[in-house]
Amino acid sequence: MSVMVQDAAPQVDFGRPLTRALLRPELPALAFIAVMVTVFAATAHGFFTTANLQQILAQVAIIGIIALGVNQVVLAGEIDVSVGSALAICAWAAGSVAVDHGGLLLPLVTAVGLGAAIGLVNGFLVVKARIPSIIVTLAMLTALRGGELVFNSIGIAGVPSSSRALGNGSVLGVDAAVVVLLVAVVVVGLLMRHTAWGREVPAVGGNRRAARQAGLPIDAIRWATFLLTGLCVGLAAIVYVGQVAAVQSNAATGLELEVLAAVVIGGTSITGGRGSVAAALVGAVLIGTMLNGMNLLGIVERWQNVFTGGVILLAVASDVVRRRMLRRFVVS
Amino acid sequence: MTSSTLALGRARALRLPVPREAVLLALLIGEVAVLAQLSPYFLTADNLLGASQFFVETGLIALGMTLVVITGGIDLSVAGALALASVTLGFSYQAGLPLPLAIVAALVVGTAGGVLNGVLTTRWTVHPLAITIATGALFRGIAEAVSNQNAVSEFSSWFTFFGQSHLGPVPYQLFAFVVAAVIVSLVLARGRFGRYVYAIGINEEAARCSGVPVWRTKTLVYGVTGLLVGIAAVIYTSRVSTARSDAGLGLELGVIAAVVLGGASITGGAGTVLGTVLGVVIIALLQQGLLLVPGLDSNWILVVTGAVMLIGVFFNEFFRRRE
Repeated sequence: MSVMVQDAAPQVDFGRPLTRALLRPELPALAFIAVMVTVFAATAHGFFTTANLQQILAQVAIIGIIALGVNQVVLAGEIDVSVGSALAICAWAAGSVAVDHGGLLLPLVTAVGLGAAIGLVNGFLVVKARIPSIIVTLAMLTALRGGELVFNSIGIAGVPSSSRALGNGSVLGVDAAVVVLLVAVVVVGLLMRHTAWGREVPAVGGNRRAARQAGLPIDAIRWATFLLTGLCVGLAAIVYVGQVAAVQSNAATGLELEVLAAVVIGGTSITGGRGSVAAALVGAVLIGTMLNGMNLLGIVERWQNVFTGGVILLAVASDVVRRRMLRRFVVS
Repeated sequence: MTSSTLALGRARALRLPVPREAVLLALLIGEVAVLAQLSPYFLTADNLLGASQFFVETGLIALGMTLVVITGGIDLSVAGALALASVTLGFSYQAGLPLPLAIVAALVVGTAGGVLNGVLTTRWTVHPLAITIATGALFRGIAEAVSNQNAVSEFSSWFTFFGQSHLGPVPYQLFAFVVAAVIVSLVLARGRFGRYVYAIGINEEAARCSGVPVWRTKTLVYGVTGLLVGIAAVIYTSRVSTARSDAGLGLELGVIAAVVLGGASITGGAGTVLGTVLGVVIIALLQQGLLLVPGLDSNWILVVTGAVMLIGVFFNEFFRRRE
C-alpha cells in the first residue's frame, strides 16, 4: 500500500522552509550540536572559548579528513572499514621517512602515495574481482594491522619537528590540522558540486542498475571513491604524525568505527545514495564536541564508548524520525 | 552417455562440479597435510583436539552470524556483546550472585543484546551495519563503565568445567559446539524457520508479500546470535579465568571471515552451517599451523587471515556467478 502512495507522484512544494530543512540529511546532527553546545556552554567552564572550539576541530581533524573519503564510498553504496589499519601503515611509512630524512614533502608524498595505493587495491578488489566491499575492507583491516605489527613492532618515536608542520604548526594563528581539514572539506565539496563525478557517486549508490543503464561508468566511479579515501587516509596520516610525533603499532585501532560513526551521524545513509559532503564534517564535529564537553565536565573516560554508541543510535533514530516526518507532512 | 546429458554437461561446463562444502573439505585436508609436513607434532589427536579449545567461541558465534548473513544482514556488535556478557558474569559473581545465576545473567544479557539489534534494525528499517556498529560500541562501553578497567579472576573451582576441562582428550566445549551446530543446522535445513531465513535473504520484499513474518524472523535470528554470544562468553571467561572489558577485541573479524569462507553470501540468501563449521576449522588450524613455522612473527597470522578471507570469498562469488 505504502508503495503505491509513493508512486503517486506527490505534489511537493520544495520551497517551503520545513520541506527544505527536512530534506537536509545533516539536520538532526546539526540540531544535536546546537543543543550540546548550548548545554556545555552553560555548564562546562572554559568550553565556549575560541581556543577550545578550535581545539575541538583540531581533535577531530583526522576523523574528519578520513570521513570525507569514506562518506563518498558510502554514498556510492559501498563501505570502507580498513581506514584504521591503513592510517597506521601510512603513518608508519611517513614516520620512518621523516626520522631518516626530515622535511615535510617526502613524508607527505610517501603517506599519500601509500594511502592511494591501498585505496586502489581496495577498489580493484571490489570493482574488478567483484568481492563485496565489506569483506575486502575487513580483510584489509586485518591484513594491514598484521603488517603494521610485523614491520613496526618497536614503534617510531622522535619525529623531527620539520616533518610535523601539518599537525602541530599554525597558519595565522589557526591550528594547521584545522586548516588541512577545512581545505580538504572545500576541495571535496567543490569536487562534489562542480564535477560530473560528484553527481554520479550518489546516483550509483542510489540505484546501481539504473546508473549502469543510464550509461554511467559505475566501476570507475566506485573505484575513484576508494582512491579518494586512500588519499584522505594518507593526508590524515601526516596530520597524525605531526600531532602525536610517534607511531605505535596499535596506532588508530578502532578509528574506522569512529569514522563510520561520523558519516552515519552526519546523515549519510549507510545503504548509499543519500547524504552530503557536510555529513562527514558535521558528524566528526558532533563526536568531537561531545568528547570535549564531557572531558571538561569531568565525566571520566570510561563512559566514552557508552556515549559514542548512544549518540550514533540517537542520530540514527532522529534520521528515522526525519524521514517519517518528511513522508507524513510533506510528501503525502 | 546420451547426447542430452552431454549437452547439459557442456552448458554447465563452468559450474562448480561438486558441492562447495566438498571443496572446503579438500582444502582442509590439503591444509592438514601441509601442516603435518611442517611439524611431526601437528597431526596428533591431542594437538588437533587441543586446538579445538581455541575456536569454539568463534565457532559458536559464527553459527549465529551464518543465520544473520543468510538474511542479508551483518552483526558487528558480537565482540562488544561478548565483553559485556563476560563482564556481567564476572562482576555479578563478585557482587555476591551465586555463580549459576551469574552464568544465566550472562546468557540473558547476550540474548537481550541480540534482540535489541533485531528490534532496532527491523522497527527503524535501518541497515544492521549502522545499528550494530553503534550497539557494539555501546555494549563495550557499558562493559568498560561497569568494570572500570578492573578484572575479575576469582571463580569457584568448578567454573573451569566450561572452558578448561577435558573428557579424555576432548575439551568439553567441543561438545557444546557440535550440539549447537547440529541444532542450528537442523533448524536451518528442515524447519519452516529455516525457509523463512533463506527467503528473507533472497528477496525480503517478496518474502513479506508471501506472508513471511520478516520482523519476527529477523529479530529471532539476531536474538539467537546473542544467545550464542552469551554461551561463548561463558566458555571464554572460564577458559581464560578472567572477566574483563577488553574481551574478544576484534573477534568479529575472525567470525565473519569463517562465515564467508564457508560459502555464505554477504548479500544474503546463501550459506550452510556445514560450510561455516569447515570455515571455522580451516582458519583455526591455519592460525595454529603458522605458530609451528620456526622464526615466523606470529602477527603474520593476521595478514594470512585477511588473505584467506579474500581468496575464499573471491572463489565463492566467482562460482556463484557461474551458477
